[in-house]
Amino acid sequence: MPSYTAPLRDMQFALYEMSDTAALRALPGCDDLSPDAIDPVLEAAGVFCAEMLFPLNRSGDEEGCRFENGVVHTPKGFPEAYRAFCDGGWTALGCDPAYGGQGLPHSIGLLVQEMICSSNLSFGMYPGLGHGAYAALHRHGTQELRNLYLPKLVSGEWAGTMCLTEPQSGTDLGLIRTRAEPVGDGSYRVTGTKIFISGGEHDLTGNILHLVLAKLPDAPSGTRGISLFLVPKFLPADDGRPGARNAVACGAIEHKMGIKASSTCVMNFDGAQGWLVGEPNRGLSAMFTMMNEARLGVAIQGLGLAEVSYQNAVAYARERLQGRAPGGAHGKGPADPILAHPDVRRMLLTMRAMAEGCRVLGVWTALQQDIATRHPDPARRQEADDFVALLTPVVKALFTDMGWESTATGMQVLGGHGYIREWGMEQYVRDARIAQIYEGTNGIQALDLVGRKMSVHAGRYLRRFFHPLLAFIEAHEGNAALAEFVQPLAKAFSRLQQCTAELARRGLADPTEAAAGATDYLRLFGLTALAWVWARAAEVALPHAPTDAFYRAKVATARFYMQKILPQTGALTSSILAGGGALRQFEDAAF
Amino acid sequence: MIRRVGVIGAGVMGAGIAAHVANAGVPVVLLDIVPGAASRAVETMLKAEPAPFMHPRRARLVEAGDLDADIGKLADCDWIIEAIIERPDAKRALYARLEAVRQDGSIVSSNTSTIPLAALTGGLPARFAADFLVTHFFNPPRYMRLLEVVAGATTRPEAAAAIRDFADHALGKTVIDCADSPGFIANRIGTLWIAAAIRHAVDLSLTVEEADAVAGRPFGVPSTGIFGLMDLVGIDITPHVAHSLFVSLPPGDAYRDVYRDEPIITRLIAEGRTGRKAKGGFYSMRRKGDGREKLSLDLVTGEYRSRRKPALDSLDAHGSDLRALAEHPDRGGRYARAVLLDTLSYAASLVPAIAGTVDAVDTAMRLGYAWKWGPFELIDRVGAAWLAEALRAAGRPVPGLLARVGGRKFYRLHDGKLQAFAPDGEYRDVARPEGVLLLEDIKRDGKPLARNASASLWDIGDGVACLEFHTKSNAFDPLVMAMLGRAVALGTEGRIRALVVHNEGRNFSVGANLGLALFAANIAAWGEIEGLVEAGQKAFRAVRAAPFPVVGAPSGMALGAGCELLLHCDAVQAHAETYMGLVEAGVGLIPAWGGCASLLARFAADKRAPKGPMPPVARAFEMIATAQVSKSAAEAQEMGLLRANDGITANRDRLLADAKARALALVEGYAPPEPVTLRLPGPAGRAALALAVQGFVGSGRATPHDVVVSDRLAETLTGGATDPIDATPLDRIYDLERHAFMALLRQPATLARIEHMLETGKPLRN
Repeated sequence: MPSYTAPLRDMQFALYEMSDTAALRALPGCDDLSPDAIDPVLEAAGVFCAEMLFPLNRSGDEEGCRFENGVVHTPKGFPEAYRAFCDGGWTALGCDPAYGGQGLPHSIGLLVQEMICSSNLSFGMYPGLGHGAYAALHRHGTQELRNLYLPKLVSGEWAGTMCLTEPQSGTDLGLIRTRAEPVGDGSYRVTGTKIFISGGEHDLTGNILHLVLAKLPDAPSGTRGISLFLVPKFLPADDGRPGARNAVACGAIEHKMGIKASSTCVMNFDGAQGWLVGEPNRGLSAMFTMMNEARLGVAIQGLGLAEVSYQNAVAYARERLQGRAPGGAHGKGPADPILAHPDVRRMLLTMRAMAEGCRVLGVWTALQQDIATRHPDPARRQEADDFVALLTPVVKALFTDMGWESTATGMQVLGGHGYIREWGMEQYVRDARIAQIYEGTNGIQALDLVGRKMSVHAGRYLRRFFHPLLAFIEAHEGNAALAEFVQPLAKAFSRLQQCTAELARRGLADPTEAAAGATDYLRLFGLTALAWVWARAAEVALPHAPTDAFYRAKVATARFYMQKILPQTGALTSSILAGGGALRQFEDAAF
Repeated sequence: MIRRVGVIGAGVMGAGIAAHVANAGVPVVLLDIVPGAASRAVETMLKAEPAPFMHPRRARLVEAGDLDADIGKLADCDWIIEAIIERPDAKRALYARLEAVRQDGSIVSSNTSTIPLAALTGGLPARFAADFLVTHFFNPPRYMRLLEVVAGATTRPEAAAAIRDFADHALGKTVIDCADSPGFIANRIGTLWIAAAIRHAVDLSLTVEEADAVAGRPFGVPSTGIFGLMDLVGIDITPHVAHSLFVSLPPGDAYRDVYRDEPIITRLIAEGRTGRKAKGGFYSMRRKGDGREKLSLDLVTGEYRSRRKPALDSLDAHGSDLRALAEHPDRGGRYARAVLLDTLSYAASLVPAIAGTVDAVDTAMRLGYAWKWGPFELIDRVGAAWLAEALRAAGRPVPGLLARVGGRKFYRLHDGKLQAFAPDGEYRDVARPEGVLLLEDIKRDGKPLARNASASLWDIGDGVACLEFHTKSNAFDPLVMAMLGRAVALGTEGRIRALVVHNEGRNFSVGANLGLALFAANIAAWGEIEGLVEAGQKAFRAVRAAPFPVVGAPSGMALGAGCELLLHCDAVQAHAETYMGLVEAGVGLIPAWGGCASLLARFAADKRAPKGPMPPVARAFEMIATAQVSKSAAEAQEMGLLRANDGITANRDRLLADAKARALALVEGYAPPEPVTLRLPGPAGRAALALAVQGFVGSGRATPHDVVVSDRLAETLTGGATDPIDATPLDRIYDLERHAFMALLRQPATLARIEHMLETGKPLRN
């Protein structure tokens, strides 16, 4: 049976030692966020996740959701756990105090999210979607809609969904057909079919608020003609409680590879009453304003699953005795623990370096999100927003690819047992797979990076990453102790510079060239970002390493990353510079 | 010979014409019927933007007076231009008075925009009819290059020839001979186009933004479109022009059907919302918070609302293909089609009635209305056969000329020469005035000596080559530098005798490609950028050191690197409308392609300047730190950006020929300039300049980043750590300016300035 313990020490390292907490505490309303205030939140979350959510993970996977007569039943124990989750205030963590929230910065909430994803990703989907609906309404809803609905979303009493995809319209939302007709009283009648709607129907809450993309009658074609509507499952009665049933119903649920305890619904809107959120025809841009947060949220799913898979792989590798490791016996047993085998160590260290590195990069990104939303100086907000815009596609694709690779590696460490359900390792692989696909496939993330984030404002977003990174390299140029970390970082950085300039140059002449190199470029970018994280981690850890095993492990992991993972940037660079000819020239008919 | 000119009527046109005559260095008498009006008009013009005078001193050539008191001053004028109210009786009465004072052989012309010549000479003596013609200037007279000339049957050919010659050579106008018909060429077609564009926008329920986006760029019309143009010229003018045309247009003219009094326009005029002069028309502004909100008029309600980006599928799909746009079924497509059919069929129906050739019509529309393509060029773009078919499909007549051209084009190339379809069904060479040398003709005729994606080298005859940039806005990039190097190599090998640097773009060059530079800076590619700076310095210094003469021939803006290259040339032959300046400080940088070094060297060599190391430094410092740009070639000469012996050409079409002649004149006995050394003030000078800048900070005229930029500039111009008793080689200044440039480029405030300039076209004052 797998186990999970929240990695509190490493989270503290990522937050307090690796990140600019002074900048965090300088934000309005954050001045009392000392470790003494934050630690109890993280500890309580760790306990709740390990004791309440983690035990439901395997049973939820086995049982799955059940669809009967238009009603979705979540697995056994989910409704109770959800109630406890709300009672614990976990839905309100990052929400606006004006509506009952606790106003915790994203950089801290992110770590709680990681614990939820590690312990039970399917469960986490429900409050996650509720938070998405909260964010959309909070940012774009009228005051009336906000007053009516936000307190219910913050308390978790009501849940939410994001209804975007339709059978013919996935990545390309310009193709949606769902219509919204004005009724004349300020509301609209929404008609159409949405698919792949997470949490579209379930038995956890008394009401579900659907945020639906639909087209107004006179809307322009394509993405400029899409509006956003709020369609509640039950229309609120005058006393604020769920009233009449709205004309929206779940038609079926999907049978999926993973996250089986999360309901994925076909939703039919049949003239359902809805209200416009934001401006007409500006629905997609309203969605975009929340996208960075949503994409970082999915990235954390990859991180959470990688972490739990790593923990269990390590536990197994310590216990499992097989063969003699090259170079002599480890202990007196009949065989050595497989932990002693170089290739197993390679697997474990790869998982560790990636997970710990991503954790820091995630906190850095979330911290910039906090600055972008809370800082009083518009110039600082802008800079932080640039950084978040740039890093969001990198983080989403890098973390979720890493989640898939790490969970597969974790399964590999267990050998045949990894393939057996009761060990739990194969569930992580199945659950992790979706994160590479939804909230914009990782291919789309790469296109976003090279097609948009790289070029807007003549590359200004890039400055927020390239300049501080170069400043870090230059600041440590003469530092002999750090040279083994900073030199590989500098090399990766110059590769990234070269590929950035080259892709930008080629992309100007021929956009297909930039697109052809996009995925490799995103990976190169991500690995360089993690190299920065690890060089900085080495800088922080080195002084304490002689006396403290935690820091010794940090330095050793940093060394592993520089020597065994970062060299991939060389291969990626070669592939990028080779251009897109080999993709273009292959004849369509020959596929 | 036109030695002295009289202008009667000191309204916008008359005063502007007088100013422009003064710009040509010719004394002019400006009279108005209202006492004092003429001298007030001169005062107003001295403050106006864009400036009617090329240099304030030109105003001294204008003698203002009152018509009744000073009509005698017209006695010794060679050309008297009447620009009074558009009433034939008033004009004829004035002409009768002129007959009493003007000298024999003097010429009289009217600047009427709509009245036929025949209606103006009635009842006047034969002497007057022989000396009279119509010269129709466009507003503003200094800047609009078109002059429509109508010579009547009785006009002396020598009189018309004298005016054409003066307008061409001295005033720099492109003279188009028009038939004596109402509205002549440009206004005849232009007013129909405006009427059609307004009418169809209303009928098809387009917003003003949509109409301007469809009828603007895809048609090659300035991005103001129709409604923006109406705001610019004044909405109240439309009904006046319309009713004046109604009087004189032939019965059955299409304008009578297309023009409609629009209730929305009537209402705007009644409410005084007549355009920019009235702070609002179809577009307006409103205070919002700290900034201003851009508003647009709702054509149905007549109220303002926030400006919206047009959202039309047709425009998204076919913004650069007019024919496909006009075939699109949405409102935008139908609008494009309606405006296109009305305008182009009208133009086709008017040749030869209003002008002998289609190229005269096209030139008039390009120069008079700033269209990128004239109507017949537009027809060639959409296809004459397509247009004829579209007219037939709409049940409309196909003009004879359009039917005759059939499936062919109005323009073709024949033996390397441009030919136009003439009304008689033959193709004839497009005529150029004597002495005009156009790069576009040379390019049509042959292959370049060398070419890359950013620049080309053309043989313009007599061993002279012309280097042309053809990047966006003619910005400098590494390939332009490479082509400069190639030209120097060809000259060094003796394969060319002289080089002219010239192009026919709207601007000579707006400077370096800032987008490329900013991107490279954003990814911290400092080594690469410094390499580019070095390569540019090397290329420009090679131009100066080349063993053959190099002549710059700029027109329009020559900013930043464009100006720096001109400073490295042996001579410059500039179009009168040349706007030069080292504007790098505006984007938080200093000139680093030898701009600092060259300007310093030039000012140090100025014999008239005060002695000592500081005066040339202070002069260059002030010019660069405040990013001064000349408002004309004449002003550039006074600023020292052009030398006293650099030439100025009034007519853009004659610029290349003049530059080539100047280059050839330098070939005999040419030796490149000697290396220069300077005595510079060093750190003490830098401190003095810093003190001066502090004064500007105190008075609020310098921003914090101005101080940073100025200090780097001061360090460069004062020679860094040099001592005034040492001679500093000019090469040292090139190194200093490069280092300063690289240091400034790392500053976030500089990057913010560059980005702001790229995105808004305006400097950021941070």
